[in-house]
Amino acid sequence: MKQLVRLAWRSIWRNRRRTLLTVGSMAAALALAVYFLAIAEGMYGRLLYQVLRMQAGHLTVENAQHLDAPSIDLRLSGVPTLRARLQDLPDVAITKELIVGPGVANSGDGAVGVAIAGVEPSVEASLSPLIHRLVAGSYLEDGDERAVIVGAELSRRLDLEVGNKLVLSSNDVDGQLVQQMVRIKGIFKTGSLDLDGHYVQIPIGFARTLFSMRPDEATQIGLLLHDPDQLSTVQRQVAGMIASNQRVAVWPWQKIMPELSSFMKVDKGSNYVLQVIILLMAMFTIFNTILMSALERKREFAVMLALGTSPTRVKLQLLVESVILGVLGCGLGVLLGSGMALATDGISLESIMGGGFDVAGFLVDPLLLAKLTPRITVGLGGAMVVIVALMSLVPMGRISRINVTDAFR
Amino acid sequence: MATLRILLLTLLACLLLPASALAKDKLTAREILDKVDDTYRGRSARGQMRMKVVNPNYKRELVMDFWSHGKEKSLVRIVEPKKERRTATLKNGNNIWNYLPKVNRTIKIPSSMMGGSWMGSDFTNDDLVKEHRMADDYAPKITFDGSRGGQKVIEITCTPKPNAPVVWGKLVVTVRAQDYLPVRIDYHKERGGLARRLTFSNYEQLGGRLVPTTMTMIPRDKPGHSTVVTYEKLTFDVSLPANLFTVASLRSGR
Amino acid sequence: MNVLRIAWRNLWRNGPRTAITGAAVALNTAVLIVTIGLTQGMLETTVKSLTQMSLGEAQVHAPKYREERRFHNTIQNPEAILRAAEEHGIGATARSYGAGLASVGAKSSGALFWGVDPARERAVFDLAGQVQQGSYLSEKPPPPNADGDVVREVVLGHKLANALQAQVGSELIAVVQAADGSIGNDLFLVKGILKTVSSDVDRSAAILSQRDFAELFVSRGLTHEIALQSGGRLESTAIVDAVRESAGQNEVLTWQELAPSTAQMLEMFGALMAIFGLIFGLAAGTGVMNSMLMSTFDRMREFGVLKALGATPWRIVRDVAGEALVLGLFFGALGALLGGLANYYLSVHGINLGTGDDLLLAGVAFDPFWKSTMSAEAIVGSLLLMGVVCVLSALYPAFKAARLDPVVAMTEP
Repeated sequence: MKQLVRLAWRSIWRNRRRTLLTVGSMAAALALAVYFLAIAEGMYGRLLYQVLRMQAGHLTVENAQHLDAPSIDLRLSGVPTLRARLQDLPDVAITKELIVGPGVANSGDGAVGVAIAGVEPSVEASLSPLIHRLVAGSYLEDGDERAVIVGAELSRRLDLEVGNKLVLSSNDVDGQLVQQMVRIKGIFKTGSLDLDGHYVQIPIGFARTLFSMRPDEATQIGLLLHDPDQLSTVQRQVAGMIASNQRVAVWPWQKIMPELSSFMKVDKGSNYVLQVIILLMAMFTIFNTILMSALERKREFAVMLALGTSPTRVKLQLLVESVILGVLGCGLGVLLGSGMALATDGISLESIMGGGFDVAGFLVDPLLLAKLTPRITVGLGGAMVVIVALMSLVPMGRISRINVTDAFR
Repeated sequence: MATLRILLLTLLACLLLPASALAKDKLTAREILDKVDDTYRGRSARGQMRMKVVNPNYKRELVMDFWSHGKEKSLVRIVEPKKERRTATLKNGNNIWNYLPKVNRTIKIPSSMMGGSWMGSDFTNDDLVKEHRMADDYAPKITFDGSRGGQKVIEITCTPKPNAPVVWGKLVVTVRAQDYLPVRIDYHKERGGLARRLTFSNYEQLGGRLVPTTMTMIPRDKPGHSTVVTYEKLTFDVSLPANLFTVASLRSGR
Repeated sequence: MNVLRIAWRNLWRNGPRTAITGAAVALNTAVLIVTIGLTQGMLETTVKSLTQMSLGEAQVHAPKYREERRFHNTIQNPEAILRAAEEHGIGATARSYGAGLASVGAKSSGALFWGVDPARERAVFDLAGQVQQGSYLSEKPPPPNADGDVVREVVLGHKLANALQAQVGSELIAVVQAADGSIGNDLFLVKGILKTVSSDVDRSAAILSQRDFAELFVSRGLTHEIALQSGGRLESTAIVDAVRESAGQNEVLTWQELAPSTAQMLEMFGALMAIFGLIFGLAAGTGVMNSMLMSTFDRMREFGVLKALGATPWRIVRDVAGEALVLGLFFGALGALLGGLANYYLSVHGINLGTGDDLLLAGVAFDPFWKSTMSAEAIVGSLLLMGVVCVLSALYPAFKAARLDPVVAMTEP
C-alpha cells in the first residue's frame, strides 16, 4: 500500500504544472463555497439570536387563540407557577414573561399607533439587543414604574426627548378605554422603521396596571434554549406539561415569526443553488484534467502493463492519484475558505449599506459574520474528495482497453 | 334698648360684610378651577348649542341638543343639518360611543380614535372626556391677580398632577375677577409653546346663571382653523330619565 | 480563412483531447449563461413584484401629499394625466385614500380605505388577482340585495381581516371623517380577502370602488394618486418624462424614489450579483484556461517537431491561436445552445425555493420560484468571453513553445 501511495505521489509531481493547476482550481472553488456558506451561517445565526432575544425566544407559551387573532384579553393566568415548571426543564436556559398589546402614544404634537411591550427589565437587559442601540437616556430597571423606552422615529414624530412625558392610551382586557402617563427613560435607534417608529417598552408591572391584568397574568412566556437543536424535544415536553389546559398552546419561533423563517429559507436556498453551481464548474474542470492526464499517459500505462503490472494495480494507482489530488485541493480550499471567513469575521458593512435593512420588520445587522461548522468544512471538503475519486472511474475504465502494442506506435 | 340692638346688628353687619367680602376674595385656586369646570354643568343640565367650524377645507354649522349629568355623563344629538340629524355622541366616564343613523349602528370609539376630531371640529374625542375634569388632573396656583387690558382678571397656572394622563405641559386659565367666569384657557406643550387657545365671550344670563355663551377654540399650528360653540338654550338641575345615558337609549333616538 | 480551416483540421487530429477540452468550454459557457440568467432573474422578479402589484413604476401626487397625507391635498385635473399616459401606451389608474375605522361585529381596527377603479386595476396591476378568499370588487355596481338596499363591497388585506375576524360575506361598518367634516359612515359587504402582498396592504388596506369611496367620504371623486405601469417596457424615468407636462404642479416620482429602501436593497443586491457574476465568469474562464493550458502544454513536443521542421515562431503562435479560437467559438456556441435551453426552461419553471406563498422581503411579497431571465446579451457576452479566454490561455504556452529550443521542446515530458 505504502508503495502505491509513494508511486502515486511521485507520478503526480512529475507533471507539476498540471497538478498545480488542478489543485489550484479545486482549492479556489472550494474556498469560495466554504466562505459563502460560513458567512450565511454566521449571519442567520446572528439574526436569529437577536430576534429571539427581543421576541419571546425559541418557544412561546401563550393563549391558544392569540396566534390567529391577537387581542389583549387573550392571556395566560397562573403564570408564576407555569414559569417555574418551565424553568426546571433541563434544556431551558432562560424564561421571560411578556405582555404585548396595541395602543396609541399621545403628546401635545400628535398621536401615533404603537405596539406596547411590557417586559421584565433585568431579564431584558441581559438579552435584548435594544440595550446596545440606545442613543439617549438609559434602559428600564426593575422598580421603574412609569418609564418607557421609545424609538428615535417615534420621538421625532411626537417631538419628545428623554424626560418628556407621553400618554399611552389603549383598551384593557375588559374593553375599557385606559390612559396612563409615562416618561421617556431612553430612546433607541435600530434602523428598522417599524421598531423605531412604533415599538415601545414599559416595565411589565406597569403594563399590568395599564391593561388591568392581575399579578399572575401575562400574554406570553418565552423560552430560550441552551441548544436550539433541542427545540422539538423541548416543545414536546412543554406540550405535555400544558396538555390538560385547552386554552394554552406552545409554539416554535417559526410559527410566531413565519416571515423570518421564510427569509432564512430563501437566503439558504439561493445560497445553496449558487454554491452548487460553483462546485459544478470546478468539477467539470477537474474531470477534464483527470481525463486529459489519463489520455496523455496512455504510453506510460502501456509500458507499465507491458512490464507486467496488473491492470488492477494501474487502476488503483490512478485512483490513489486522484484521491491525493482531491485531498490536496479540498484541504487547501477548506483552509483558504476558513481563513477568509475568520479574517472577515466582524467586519462592518455599514459604510456600504447605511443602516441595516428590514426583513419582515426585523433588522439585519450590516455586519459580516462567519460561522464555520463541521458540516461546512469537513462535510463539503469530504464530499468533494469522494466526488473526485469517483471521477477517476472513467479513465480507470479506459485502462482495461489499452492495446499495449498500439500504444507504442 | 332697641337702639342698642340696631347698633349691635349694624356692628355685626359691618364686621361680617368685610369678612364675606374677604371670604369672596379668598376663593382658592382649586375652588376657582372647580367653578370653571362647572361653567356649563350642574347636578344635571340640558340645552341646545350651535357649533360653527371653519377651516380651509370646509365650513360646518351644527345645531345640537345636549344633556349632562354631573361631570361624567353627557349625550349630544345633532338636530341640524338634516343630513346629519340624529347622529349622537354618548360619553360615560372614559368611554365614548357614536350613533350613526345612516347605518343605524352604534360604535364605541377605540383608543386609536380618541385623538381624532369630534364632529369635524377642533375638539377631539379626548377633549370630550377630559374637558370638565381639570381639577382632577391639574394642581392649580394663582399666578396673577390684577388688571389686564382694562379688565380685572385672575390667572391660574395649572400644572399636571404627578401621574395625570394628560399630554399638556401646563394650562393657563384666566378668569374674571368679579365672578370667576372663564375668559381664556391656554394649552401649553411640555417643551414650551402654545398649542391652542380656548376663549370665552358673550356673558349672558341663561338658565338662571350668568355664563359665557360663546366658546372659541383656535389651534395654534393650523392657520385658518377655528371652532365656535354658542349656547342658545340652557337649563340646570332638570330631572332626566335614569336610562338616558345608555347605549340603548342612544340608538332609540329619544 | 485558410488558417481557420487548418486549425479545424488540426484540432480533430487529436480527437479525444479536443473533445475533452471542448466539453469543458461548452459546459462552462452553459453554466455561466444560466448563472447570469438566474441572478438577473432574481433582480427582475423582485422589481416586478414591487412595481406590478400596486405601486407601479411611477406615481403622481399633489405636492407634499406623501409626507403629510392630508385628505384635501388632491391632484388637480387627473384626467389630463390619465390621457397623457394612454397616449404613450402606459397603463394608469387613479386612486383615493382615507383613514378611518373598520368594524366587524365586536372587533374594530384602524384601516386605510382605498377608492379604486376595479376595471382599470385589473387591467394595469396584479393586485386584483391576489385574492385568497372570495373575489375582487365587481366592475359594475352589484345589484341591490334581498332587502332592496344598495350593496357596497370591500376587499380587505389579510392581516386586517384577521384582526376583525372577518370573512367573505361579513358586514363591515366604516366610520371616517368625511371631506365636509361630518362623520362618514356606511355598511359594506366583505367581497374578498387578499393574499400576502406587502406589509402595509396586509395590515390596513380596505379597498372600495371609487363610487363607494366618494359616497363614504363625501368626496365627489377627488383623487390622491395616479399609479403608472408599463410592464417593464419603459424605464421609470421615461414614464416620468412622458407625463410630466400633463402633471403640471403635481409631483411625479419613480418607484425608486417612492421606495428608496427597497431600491437601495436591490442596488446592493445587484452589486452582489454582479460580483457573483464576475466570480463565475472568472471561474468559468479559469476552467477553460486550465484546459487550454494543459492541452497546449501537452503538445510541447509537437511544437518542438514543427520548429525543428522549420516553422517560424510566429507560425506556431498563429496556429495555436487559430485553433484556440475555433475551439472556443465552436464549443462555446454549443455551450451557448445548451445554456440557452436550460435558461429557457428555468425562465418558465424556475427553481422552487420552498418559501411558500406568504413571505415578505423588505415589505414586498416574494415569489417562491426562482426564475431565470432570457437575454441575448448574456449569451453573446459569455460566448465572447470564452473565445477570448481560450485564445489568451493558449497564447502563453504557445509563446513559450515558439521561443524554445526545438530539442528542449521535443523532449518535454
